[in-house]
Amino acid sequence: MLDLIARNRVATLIAVLAVAYAAIGATAPGYLSVATASVVVSNSLVLMLISLGTMIVILTRNIDVSSGSILGLSAAVLGLSLNAGVSLPLAVAFCLATGALAGAFNGLMVAYLGIPSIVATLGTLGLYRGIMLVLTGGRWIEDLPQGLKALAANLGFGFSALTVVVLALVVLAWAVLRKTRFGRYFYAVGDNRAAAHHLGVPVKVVQFTAFVAIGVCAAFAGLVFAAQIGFIPNQAGSGLELKAIAVNVLGGVSLLGGTGSVAGVFSAVIFITSIDSALVFLKIPAYWNDFIAGAILLSVLLLDGRIRQIIDRRIRARRYTVHERSHTPSSEPTAALTVEAGR
Amino acid sequence: MAYSPATGRVAKLTDIWKSYGVVPVLKGVSLTLKAGEVHALLGGNGAGKSSLMKIMSGVIPANSGAVEINGRALAHASPAYAQELGLYLVPQEAHILPNQSVLENICLGLTASPRALRPRVEQLIAELSVSLDLDAQAAGLEIAERQIVEILRGLVRDARVLILDEPTSALTPFETNALFQRVRKLQAQGVGIFFISHKLREIREICGTISVLRDGVIVLSGLLDDYSDADVIEAMSRVQITETSGRDGTGRKISQIGKPRLSVKGLSGEGFRNISLDVRAGEILGLAGVVGAGRTEFAETLFGLRPQIAGSVVFDGTELTKRSPRRCIDRGLVYLPEDRQQHGLFLEAPLFWNVSSYLVHRLPFFLRPGAERKVFDTFRTSLGIKCTGPGQEARGLSGGNQQKVLLAKCLSARPKVLILDEPTRGVDVAARNDIYDIIRQLADDGVAIILISSDFDEIEQLANRVEVMAFGQSGGELTDDISVDAIARLAFGASEARHA
Repeated sequence: MLDLIARNRVATLIAVLAVAYAAIGATAPGYLSVATASVVVSNSLVLMLISLGTMIVILTRNIDVSSGSILGLSAAVLGLSLNAGVSLPLAVAFCLATGALAGAFNGLMVAYLGIPSIVATLGTLGLYRGIMLVLTGGRWIEDLPQGLKALAANLGFGFSALTVVVLALVVLAWAVLRKTRFGRYFYAVGDNRAAAHHLGVPVKVVQFTAFVAIGVCAAFAGLVFAAQIGFIPNQAGSGLELKAIAVNVLGGVSLLGGTGSVAGVFSAVIFITSIDSALVFLKIPAYWNDFIAGAILLSVLLLDGRIRQIIDRRIRARRYTVHERSHTPSSEPTAALTVEAGR
Repeated sequence: MAYSPATGRVAKLTDIWKSYGVVPVLKGVSLTLKAGEVHALLGGNGAGKSSLMKIMSGVIPANSGAVEINGRALAHASPAYAQELGLYLVPQEAHILPNQSVLENICLGLTASPRALRPRVEQLIAELSVSLDLDAQAAGLEIAERQIVEILRGLVRDARVLILDEPTSALTPFETNALFQRVRKLQAQGVGIFFISHKLREIREICGTISVLRDGVIVLSGLLDDYSDADVIEAMSRVQITETSGRDGTGRKISQIGKPRLSVKGLSGEGFRNISLDVRAGEILGLAGVVGAGRTEFAETLFGLRPQIAGSVVFDGTELTKRSPRRCIDRGLVYLPEDRQQHGLFLEAPLFWNVSSYLVHRLPFFLRPGAERKVFDTFRTSLGIKCTGPGQEARGLSGGNQQKVLLAKCLSARPKVLILDEPTRGVDVAARNDIYDIIRQLADDGVAIILISSDFDEIEQLANRVEVMAFGQSGGELTDDISVDAIARLAFGASEARHA
């Protein structure tokens, strides 16, 4: 049982979530509905994209704390282009290209210039936000065209065009990471960089690609953000990078690289977003949200840590008892030899 | 003699030069390796051995000279390219991806998928007659199994040249034998092997030809049988090896053995049971056994790093209960750990920090770096540590010098009982002799020494008395007749019975 919990983070999360849903559903009838589900899904899209990108970077044993700023910068590029009369497809292309460029710059510094990723992206965290503020003059971008907002409109079952694209991206990420040789490289680089290099894995290319991937994900998240709320505040996306890292940890992605699954991250995002929506439903004032989300995150991780410790201790105990049992019979020949050698 | 006349050449190095900055490391090295040849490559630390290997395997480029593998030139430095040409380097520490399966570990970096390669890997495993669970997570592999994963990586790439870098340094003698059988099979299949080792006995057993590297030049090369051990050591160290620094046949002469310092009765802990031993001032007690016999666990339990299950430890007449490393150090019971990179050194810190780190709890609140440097300088002279100064980082030293720094650290605590766990692992021959002299000197000064070693030669040369551990239990004691054979009989007696 304990083994199962430790090995399968997805199952744990789903189980905890099911209990939580049942409890909330019992106290506040009407919570468990299609409407709630569709709210949770559409509220989770931005975090989903950022977390997915963050996961790819963490897999390679790097970190990116600039993703929130990339979101803001790309969204600003999108908004400014649209308000300058650029057509929607072209503006979206600009937006995604901005994200890719920003990610490529991070990747260049980390993979090719050898700057530690935390340092490099802390720098660009400020830099990209700064560029955004310079571009917008510090003002919010409002009056976005209807065409953009329509992307987030409900097409039925609470799904919008964006939801479909994000879910497709999740599936794509899963397929690439699990089913392709290049996807395996992300795990290999994070698991043991020297070994990967030694075995001919293009370590630098893999690291660079991961940063470009999170850049594009963050830019797409900026698009979703703008379409969903209809304007772009100058602090758009700020703080999301840390939330995404927390989601990754919750979803079983090791910060040391090399392990983690898309399914884990997906469940963790749904988990965190569900908590937010449940709080609204329980009419708990919104300023409690961060406190409660933080407390839940910590308790899940503490519980998980304890379980792992217990399992480690058991494995250790088992190893030494096996040791005793399997070697006790051989004590007789040893004793005989001792006598012989003693003569 | 394992060497058989070869049919063709599988690797050729021509006039390789390499320098880092202005320091030349390799000065025109040329070597050839034939199919089916096992070629020993020896050299002290800093002789250029590792640079040569890195050049051969494409990790770093040479300044000039040519590397030819299987008749094709290694045109640019890239490990993947060297592997494609048919050369695989099995590193001293296997490169393992702990979170991936064993099969994925073996197949990583190849274009074919692990699933497609599986039958081939299974066939290779059968040919080598090893057992390996391909679906297990690699994190759980034993050190010997990791080595096999590395060898399989080479074989699945159809390597015709293997470089084995100190392959036996972490293996038990039983595993070493198994490895040698596999090497002979590979040899029969025409694979050429460079075998890097510091252990002459092993080299005699498995190698046919030998080259010795010193200061970037090949100083001795040819059929192994043409040279005696003394020739080889002399070529390597340029120092005349005299009998006094070597063995004297019957172990160390007991000059004055003092009062009992440490007496352990019926100690049990994780991985060992019911161990009793005494050690006196001025005595070197060898604690022999194979890897995994429980010796390190025993030492760590003595030093308070692992929980004790039963037994008593009496130090200088009083029982030591509730041991912790700090209490042990304060009483004068000091342990030099086996893994100097992981448990011993602060690699990024200056050398004098490393030495004073043991007594850091006794340093004044405001540190006096001048005094610490002075302490380091005394040890630097007395132990012969080669470094640029007390401020140098530990990472930059060779294995032998790192080990001396660790010894200095232990000695700064003025030990009465010193437990040395594999003090010469990965240390070249010259530095090894220095360390032996230091250990003898310490014993003459009245320190009681417990010497843990898997190198029975070493025990034979140094110890006054030997306790053997096998499978976590006492395997017997040797007092007068200390010889490699006698130790081996006690250490493996049980293991051969078990594997038979």
